[in-house]
Amino acid sequence: MIMAVLGVPLAVLAAARTMDRPEIRKWKAVEIALPANDADEACLGRPIALALDADHLYIVDAQDGAVKLFSKNGEFLKAVGRKGRGPGELSFPSGVSVIGGRLFVADKFNYRIQAFDRAGEPRGGFPVPFAPDKACVLNGETLLVTSSPTGRTAAEKMLHLYDFGGRLRWEGLEARASSDPVFDAFINMILVFPGEGGEFFVVFRSGERSILRFTASGALVGKIPVDERYAFQPLDLPFRGPKKRLLGFCWAATWDRGLFYISAPAPVEGKDLGPGRLLSVVDRQGRLTASLELPCPVHRFVVEGTRVYAVDDDGGLRIFEVVR
Amino acid sequence: MKKLAALALAGLVLVSAALFFPTALAAHDVNECYKNHRDCRENALNMDAPWFKVMLMLTVCDIALGKCALGL
Repeated sequence: MIMAVLGVPLAVLAAARTMDRPEIRKWKAVEIALPANDADEACLGRPIALALDADHLYIVDAQDGAVKLFSKNGEFLKAVGRKGRGPGELSFPSGVSVIGGRLFVADKFNYRIQAFDRAGEPRGGFPVPFAPDKACVLNGETLLVTSSPTGRTAAEKMLHLYDFGGRLRWEGLEARASSDPVFDAFINMILVFPGEGGEFFVVFRSGERSILRFTASGALVGKIPVDERYAFQPLDLPFRGPKKRLLGFCWAATWDRGLFYISAPAPVEGKDLGPGRLLSVVDRQGRLTASLELPCPVHRFVVEGTRVYAVDDDGGLRIFEVVR
Repeated sequence: MKKLAALALAGLVLVSAALFFPTALAAHDVNECYKNHRDCRENALNMDAPWFKVMLMLTVCDIALGKCALGL
């Protein structure tokens, strides 16, 4: 009797949950042939960030100390910046964001944000008291800059909001800390991407299966739990102290038109985790709605409608068209 | 005799401490060590390599910091 009383509501609850979860659609990607880019500068040495605007694709090449501009069909146009420490020069650029033809570049080892116009001319910038990792324009006046914690001081903040003049507006998201700085480096690896109306999202690459949603002023307004059908990828690493398991959540991620595109880390070279070829498409409520299989593993990517711009294992640019 | 032994011991401790701990110049170098360590970690985290390799690189950075700080 008791079982029957308990069983009926549980069955109803389970059915409601199943109905709440849409079926996972399978999407395919077709590769688009790139034009021959013969210039030496078109070669990507160490591409570590991508950005899009209405007309161009921007790829940050940390090795060449430049941001490389491509057309949307993959034709190389020019390089902005060069290696160095002076104005217009970059030392390990690691992030780029574009608004109104103005590029903001995270100039990591020069400890500054540099601005350029689309012609490649330096247009100011400002110093920051940390090695900036990613730069992300949120609206016409706010720039989000991320940093990796050094592990030397307590309660280090990983998100910093500046206005375009370099005035700090807000700092937040404290780094998680344990007794092992190597483990901490992993659990504090984050990805950020702008949403709509100045909001932005933060994803931890391991250990956390929620996407954090912030407003342009830095207020945390939501925590989107990602569908349990999107599984963690566990990895045992020989960290200091008691045995710790790293729960790999995402290798790279982006946001486009109301959907998150998350690539899960995939098993590589035996017991290691590396970039995968499967992108999971998650809606604003965290529900897994589709999976997109790419022809090759991708390290970084951006999505625009049915186009995926990605960097492959060899550091080459690949463009895919999604077939839904 | 006991006083002499205690003094000699204290002297030895002081000399050892002076030899072991870095001088003002060396202390400046330690700051450079920390800066190199920070850059090393940033490089490792941006390697975009499988995570076991990143972990090895981060460990190498920590070892390098220890060696640098001790002046080895």
